[in-house]
Amino acid sequence: MNTSSDERDRQTLRRMQEAMLLGRRVADDRLMLDDATLRAALDGSRPLTAGERAALRDSPLTARRLRRLALERRAAQAEGTADAWRGSAGMLRAASSGAPATVTTDDGWWTLHFIDLRTFGWRVVLQLAPQAPFAEALLVAQLPVSVVDGAGATVLSGQLDADGECEATWPFATPPAAHLQAHGARFTVAPLEGAAR
Amino acid sequence: MRLPGTRYQEPGWEDVRKLLGSCSLAALRGLDLARPDPDVLEEYVERMAAQLLAVRRSPRALAAGNAYGDTVYELAVALVVELRARPADWEALRAALADGPAADALVRKKANDMYAVLRDRVDADGYQAACGRPCSPNRMYAYRMLDTAYHDIARLFADWHAHVAQVGAILGHAVAGGAAPIEVRQLRGIADCRPEWVLRWSATLDEYGGGPGPLHTRSKRFASLKTDPERIGAMLREIGEYELLSANHDRDWLQDLDDAGAWVEDYWRVLQESEQATTPGPDRILEPGADPLDAALAEPDPQPGLDPAPAGVPADPGHDARLDALALAVSLPPGYLREAAAAEAADGTIARLLAADGLPVRLAVYATLLGPEDATYPDAWRDPASGALPTMRQLAALAEVSQPTLRKRRDAAIARLEAAINVANSAAKDVTNDAAFNPTRGSHEHE
Repeated sequence: MNTSSDERDRQTLRRMQEAMLLGRRVADDRLMLDDATLRAALDGSRPLTAGERAALRDSPLTARRLRRLALERRAAQAEGTADAWRGSAGMLRAASSGAPATVTTDDGWWTLHFIDLRTFGWRVVLQLAPQAPFAEALLVAQLPVSVVDGAGATVLSGQLDADGECEATWPFATPPAAHLQAHGARFTVAPLEGAAR
Repeated sequence: MRLPGTRYQEPGWEDVRKLLGSCSLAALRGLDLARPDPDVLEEYVERMAAQLLAVRRSPRALAAGNAYGDTVYELAVALVVELRARPADWEALRAALADGPAADALVRKKANDMYAVLRDRVDADGYQAACGRPCSPNRMYAYRMLDTAYHDIARLFADWHAHVAQVGAILGHAVAGGAAPIEVRQLRGIADCRPEWVLRWSATLDEYGGGPGPLHTRSKRFASLKTDPERIGAMLREIGEYELLSANHDRDWLQDLDDAGAWVEDYWRVLQESEQATTPGPDRILEPGADPLDAALAEPDPQPGLDPAPAGVPADPGHDARLDALALAVSLPPGYLREAAAAEAADGTIARLLAADGLPVRLAVYATLLGPEDATYPDAWRDPASGALPTMRQLAALAEVSQPTLRKRRDAAIARLEAAINVANSAAKDVTNDAAFNPTRGSHEHE
């Protein structure tokens, strides 16, 4: 078996295991273990007693609660890793005076700078805030990112440099503010789709 | 209404209910309900799966069933799957219709009652798994009653001019015709709704609504709630808080959570570590709850009525034939078995573990565990007519056995699969030669 069918096989098996665990039902099932007991078992600080183990095995509902706590725990652990960031979205705010020179995502981690080179057109710079929780991991992983406008067209894509910036020529005929305004007034920064991790 | 872990409490439920009702009508036709036989439930579930599959591209099936992105079709399928594991709910319907062919309206009503109770069971379990607090179908029903009460109170407040007397009765003081009462202007969401308003609102329904309010019927289901305004207030606030949370960011995050199967590794690890360690007792096992709201029996939801029967429309003579034709198994292309077997990796773990069962049984296992149209299935496994795995009827014909026999073999195969995985996982610390079998190994490769 080659690696990809090996991987597919393992995933199928895992999904079947999950379906079997989640599909079990017991009459008058209820939560048998409290969150503190389950969390201590998950982090290894207090393994379950034999009686508690039997209770977990025999109560599909308690197993589903464990599932929830396990996933929350994994999500918390993933914070501060490149995996924790799945994308940031921003809106073009109505500017009080003229076109904005910068726009920032709602979470504050990404800024787009627009530079007017007059006869040479526009350039756009994507900048990652160094205080973003995933910033260091993202730079280490050298994960390519892309910016798309509200209509789904790519504004910019590439790898961040050591300063957390990525620069390109503005790809559209219309200047940035007018273009974004005409295409949903919003934009998204996300890991480049299909990029190898 | 939205609460953590629930899927069936939003307005999309109406479409789920109607879809299940119309499919049940066809699925129950000709089914012998006189026998209290578990096979009859299986037969019903399979017919429902085929009925639902046949209409899965209809506008109603494709409509949004809730704000989490589940379609009406997906919610209906999940509820039918759930029914397999809850034979008591099925038994009530079977017994009610056991006396022979019933009028369509009665069949719909009984199906309606069954799924109304079932959805609250499913959501009560979902709620417990999501927040770790006990919940029961009746408590879920009570949340929904309070949500309905709030919306009706808000409607009356918004149009208080036209309902001066009833609004006055709800507020507990006379309302003058001039300026809007201050309470009316202060009610911005369900969390602002006061328990005493709900109690008085229920009391006004006898006079202003169509009968006694939900807290003023003779039913015992809310008996403990109507003497506990603090509890009513807490439940109203809980609905409000989660609505706020889920409207902001909770949704995407929950979707992410639901995609992840990684917890299966944690589950086995927790069991293994427990076996290896000897944690001293006493066991910290929770006592069963004694909440009277949970103890009340689940009753069918009386609020949404029956689907109105199309008045004055004579019965369509082609209707029965059409539904029968829907239920008839579509024929598969010649050479199906050969090509489907060729598409199955012979050295795959499932094929290996269930080698003795034959392809039709393995496909029945796949359909039961992963659903009839999972994206990972090879095209050669699918019925070109449906785009999904063959139905149990077709698979039984392919296996040259009866459907009950195929079901027994399928369930035995799943049991063996489960046992093999249990053994592999509890022995995982010693296993060194089978990476595909051990979910705690090999996980690093894709994480």
